[in-house]
Amino acid sequence: MTRVLVVDDAATVRLYHTSLLREAGFEVAEAANGLEAVEAAMTTPFDLFVVDVNMPKMNGYACVETLRSETVGTAAPVLMISTEDRPGDADRAYQAGANLYLVKPVAAERLVRVATMLTTGKDPAA
Amino acid sequence: MGLVRKQAPEPELPQVLDTDELVRRLDDPDPELRREAALELAGKPEAVPELLARVGLETEPRVRDAVLTTLAGHDSEAVAAGLAVHLASDEAGLRTAVAEALASMPVSTPALLPSLLAAPDHDVRVMTAMVLADLPHPEAKSWLVQMIAEDPHPNVVTAAIDALLPAASAEHIGVLEAAVLRFPDDPFLAFTVRAALPRLTGTA
Repeated sequence: MTRVLVVDDAATVRLYHTSLLREAGFEVAEAANGLEAVEAAMTTPFDLFVVDVNMPKMNGYACVETLRSETVGTAAPVLMISTEDRPGDADRAYQAGANLYLVKPVAAERLVRVATMLTTGKDPAA
Repeated sequence: MGLVRKQAPEPELPQVLDTDELVRRLDDPDPELRREAALELAGKPEAVPELLARVGLETEPRVRDAVLTTLAGHDSEAVAAGLAVHLASDEAGLRTAVAEALASMPVSTPALLPSLLAAPDHDVRVMTAMVLADLPHPEAKSWLVQMIAEDPHPNVVTAAIDALLPAASAEHIGVLEAAVLRFPDDPFLAFTVRAALPRLTGTA
């Protein structure tokens, strides 16, 4: 089963993303900030990370940079989802190592479609 | 000749630095010295302007956190106002660290709320909800309810709902349901309220 780590400090956002992905057949774990995500990634292999930007302890950009660093070294795709829609936010995400940046809120079908494409390379809507 | 016992070296006394020297150390190339200086400046109001000036310039997160910890200890309106400008920062680490610091300043942060709630940048208002989520103040819930009821941006409303939910009760059902009606096309907002209502109505 495809394993996803949902990383967000907002419990409701984690619940929303987790519910949608589980309904679509993904196995989902959760982390409340970047630090928890890095700890989880060091002990468990994930096939996809869904990461928020504004989080305490370790923000999303620092989290993705650490996931991509030698410390963790994961090549699994990273989808960043944030309320931040200022110019440059997406660029910053890609510089950190994210594969895709979406602005909240993300519709259910879109999240599942993107998660499927990032983990299988196939578009379920095609 | 008998053995001569070597005397143990005198223990080094901790160096006491004056405020001016500590302020100078805020610019030291060694981040550990900068961090220690920032913490040593706790309780020295004369250093506040220098510490505020470093908030946006410091690049080491651990040093910046030390600066913010010392500044938050003052909990004055000047400090709160000096920090709040960074809620609009393009740097995620800075704006979230500042939000955490403001949330730990219940005496002075409330004075900023009227301007933060009316900030033209909706990202600043989202960060304001993050501040209110952790602000230990009796009016925190009221400000969040105001955001949910009045803010025109759905992301601000969802951030405020997320901040309110851990402390929400049956009295908030109306404002949550009204928010869904205000933003009928926002799937996350509707999901969040739908998920929360059973607990608030006692049917969970």
